[in-house]
Amino acid sequence: MFRNQYDTDVTVWSPEGRLLQVEYAMESVKQGSACLGLRSSTHSVLGALKRSVSEHASHQKKLLEIDDHMGIGIAGLTADARTIAKWMRNECLNHKYVYGTPMPSGRLLTDLADKHQRTTQTYVRRPYGVGLLVASYDKNGPHLYQTCPSGNLYEYYASAIGARSQSGRTYLEKHYETLNDASRDDLIMHALRALTGCVSGDVELTKDNGSIAVVGKDEKFTLIEGDELQPYLDRLELEGGTGGGDDDDDDDDDEEGGEEETKEEGGVEAMET
Amino acid sequence: MASYLSAANAVQARNGQLALPIHTSEGGAMIPVSLGANNDCHADDIDHGVTRATYERGFSPYEFNGGTTLAISGPDYAVVAADTRLSSGYEILSRNVTKLHALTDKCVLGSAGCKTDVDQLRSVLDIKMKIYAHNHRKPMSTPSVAQMLGNTLYYKRFFPYYAFNVLAGVDSEGKGAVYSYDAIGSFERTPFSASGSGQSFLIPLMDNVIAHKNRLDEKRDLPSEEVVEIVKDAFVTAGERDIYTGDAVEIMVITKDGLTTETFKLKAD
Repeated sequence: MFRNQYDTDVTVWSPEGRLLQVEYAMESVKQGSACLGLRSSTHSVLGALKRSVSEHASHQKKLLEIDDHMGIGIAGLTADARTIAKWMRNECLNHKYVYGTPMPSGRLLTDLADKHQRTTQTYVRRPYGVGLLVASYDKNGPHLYQTCPSGNLYEYYASAIGARSQSGRTYLEKHYETLNDASRDDLIMHALRALTGCVSGDVELTKDNGSIAVVGKDEKFTLIEGDELQPYLDRLELEGGTGGGDDDDDDDDDEEGGEEETKEEGGVEAMET
Repeated sequence: MASYLSAANAVQARNGQLALPIHTSEGGAMIPVSLGANNDCHADDIDHGVTRATYERGFSPYEFNGGTTLAISGPDYAVVAADTRLSSGYEILSRNVTKLHALTDKCVLGSAGCKTDVDQLRSVLDIKMKIYAHNHRKPMSTPSVAQMLGNTLYYKRFFPYYAFNVLAGVDSEGKGAVYSYDAIGSFERTPFSASGSGQSFLIPLMDNVIAHKNRLDEKRDLPSEEVVEIVKDAFVTAGERDIYTGDAVEIMVITKDGLTTETFKLKAD
């Protein structure tokens, strides 16, 4: 194909009518570790798998607060994500100062999508190499949005992005009809179960690499990490293990049956049916 | 006076002095004017000296909306209180407006002065505190808030916030902390602080009861419940003599476990 000749600048079309630089930026999102989001009629939950460079290094933060009523989960270039988060936080503060009410998330997201698009049409810039899942709560209820480097904006009931996220997406597709009436804790458990499908072969979901955030009616955006996450992980283990996830064969093509290995914790057999 | 002509007709002679009667919400007054050449008048004064008249000057950006605040620190708590009356001149605008603003769950700002400046100061502080929380991933500690408030006030050194602040909270060790401010950012950590129209009635009382000055009995640590009762008495005292203080006093007690609020009614006169 003609990929190599037309991929140097974002302002160059390929003969198939594609902007290859933008597509490469979206590849970067697919390489980031998994991040997922889901919502009910009262709450919106984000979950993420935090990656660490080495055993001695810290785990990279994936969930960031934007305002009391909004937060994001990132996949891709972390530095790009932090720039975007700073911008979003600033917009929310300005809006609160000028209008006295929290920034409506839909409006912020359309501005964010436009911000992404601008980078795809300027010679001197490059697209942001990060995909965001934005969870928010406003007077219309909870929301979950997804942005990508191309500038496209989607609203979802549930979604997953990043490496091995297909497993997460499949789990969420299976269960999304029950999500609307799920309780806050049920949503968190769904997020954790979907997340366990996204771990790579020898890794298991622990309080150090797992991360959850909730926002909803009567609840400001709150991170649940570290020791606070342990009770949910314990509950997950009682159900069937922190590595087994759901019995799906619909895994990523590049993963060699990682799903098949039982991820046991302390010798407890995962009770799969 | 709607026009120069009608004003000119209204000028009256009183005690050998020409004067223009004016009416405000606080009664009337006679503004001395000069229509001829004399020591007070300048030849090119188009308003005949009215704006230099002692009673009423030109536009002032500031107005005092009244009220008194008080804060007292203890070994593991801080008490902050403010009356809830909002006034303008001799009029009461509201009997139920708060002067206290919780910046974090461990730190409360009480401000008397010009309400619009106070509100704006709070908006600015809230934004700065949110930015801090985003960047540091924890809420600001009380001594840091104290420093930031001082800096924010000094930032407007040459057009100050007309706000007389007391900051009360617990520091990172859990000890009570009270900071006093002037309008341009000078501040100091003190055992207690009072500001606003009734401060002169409260401070001498606090000197005796809290700082234990001029007393022969043994000084002892006071529990927060006793300090709250002292605060109530103090505001009753201030309310008696200060016309701008009254209606109700809002009392907040801050400990490392959080905030509690109580409202105590005062005389409405």
